[in-house]
Amino acid sequence: MIYLDNAATTYPKPESVRRAVSEALVRYGANPGRAGHSMSIAASEEIYRCRSAAAEFFRASGPECVAFTLNCTHAINYVLKGLLRPGDHVVISCLEHNAVVRPLYALAQQGVQVTEATVTAGDNDATMEAFRSAIRQNTRLIVCTHASNVWGIRLPVERLAALAHAYRIPIVVDSAQSAGVLPIDLADSGIDYLCCAGHKGLYGPMGTGMLITANGAGLSTVIEGGTGTESANPQQPAGMPERMESGTQNMPGIAGLHAGIEFVKRRGPEKIAQHEMGLIRSAYEQLSRLPRVRFYTPEPDLRYFAPVLSFTVDGLPSETVGRELGKLGVAVRAGLHCAPSAHRLMGTLENGAVRICPSAFSTQADISGMVGAVKKILNKNYGSED
Amino acid sequence: MGKPLIVVGSITFAMKGRDILGRRGFRSSVERVPHSRDAHGCGYGLYVPERAEEAEKILRSAGIPVTGRVPWEASGR
Repeated sequence: MIYLDNAATTYPKPESVRRAVSEALVRYGANPGRAGHSMSIAASEEIYRCRSAAAEFFRASGPECVAFTLNCTHAINYVLKGLLRPGDHVVISCLEHNAVVRPLYALAQQGVQVTEATVTAGDNDATMEAFRSAIRQNTRLIVCTHASNVWGIRLPVERLAALAHAYRIPIVVDSAQSAGVLPIDLADSGIDYLCCAGHKGLYGPMGTGMLITANGAGLSTVIEGGTGTESANPQQPAGMPERMESGTQNMPGIAGLHAGIEFVKRRGPEKIAQHEMGLIRSAYEQLSRLPRVRFYTPEPDLRYFAPVLSFTVDGLPSETVGRELGKLGVAVRAGLHCAPSAHRLMGTLENGAVRICPSAFSTQADISGMVGAVKKILNKNYGSED
Repeated sequence: MGKPLIVVGSITFAMKGRDILGRRGFRSSVERVPHSRDAHGCGYGLYVPERAEEAEKILRSAGIPVTGRVPWEASGR
């Protein structure tokens, strides 16, 4: 199989990740952070090593800033529902995933107001101006994706953080598509809340995510419960990370995430990004020679894009193309990608698009194989037109 | 009377504190604090067999939330 659905979850996982998950079930089989016996402490040590590795990778101020979540969606929900109250206003981008849109829709039923700022691909000044003009007196939060999970369009999150802070507004960044690929420096950027998927560009197992913030104590909690500390106190602990980590942790997942972060560090996120973008540009070039294939963004480069590319085939619904590609052994994601706003922006809301996304393990042969499969689909449906 | 155990807010801070102290030449180990030793219930602390007072100051200045210091029998774990 040619796997180009890495924007959904990376596959394969590095050997070190698979081994770490397996070994965790044996070596760290006790409940971490709950007891004082040696295996519980050993499990806690592994979790602490993952926290430390993540904090160092994203330049957070310490391992206590890293709270493990089930995925990026959970992390985003924790922040939005932990901060926003009726009457508050939020500015989001027009490219947001339902991980942002749906919690805000639910909060809007309680009186939270939302404004969508238009993102202009390749023109960060225009994007900045759209955000600036959306800010109101009651704006409590800016939320934006670092990179569109559909079009790969990259947002100038560092500039947006500076803008937000000029208005004394915190900023949440959804790094589901960027963590491990695009540089994220919490110390330099001042991003207040970073929400990460562990199972995408960080190569951890599914069921892992992180909320990274020095401001966790200020969040109201969505879930309360046992943390292994302050057990006589019915109130949820105020301090991070326990405040956001009720219940037993995903120990094998976190061990795998740790190995994934170390894998990315060893390879170097810049090298991974260059590799993946090289493949995306190759795909763009080859696919653009085919009749009926339509792109919605200019040829991507890392300055303005993450290595994610979507296209459509004139006359064929994207789900049909995706299904046909699947039959030919090419795994892609077709449809709306849980991001209807991003499709609305490009006029693809009705038929969706076909998305490809390579990983560190993808090759030029994968891209050529995918292009060859698209050619076959075109020939099957329209005969040889080129 | 045992040596002092520095009680901190969480196991994460206990491990971070241990690393900070290690870089400053202190020996310490992460220990589970029993319920009776802490008003809020069970938690974690750092057993520092020597120069505990100095260690506590270092931890506090590094932003580790120290919630107290209690006697600790190293053999009583």
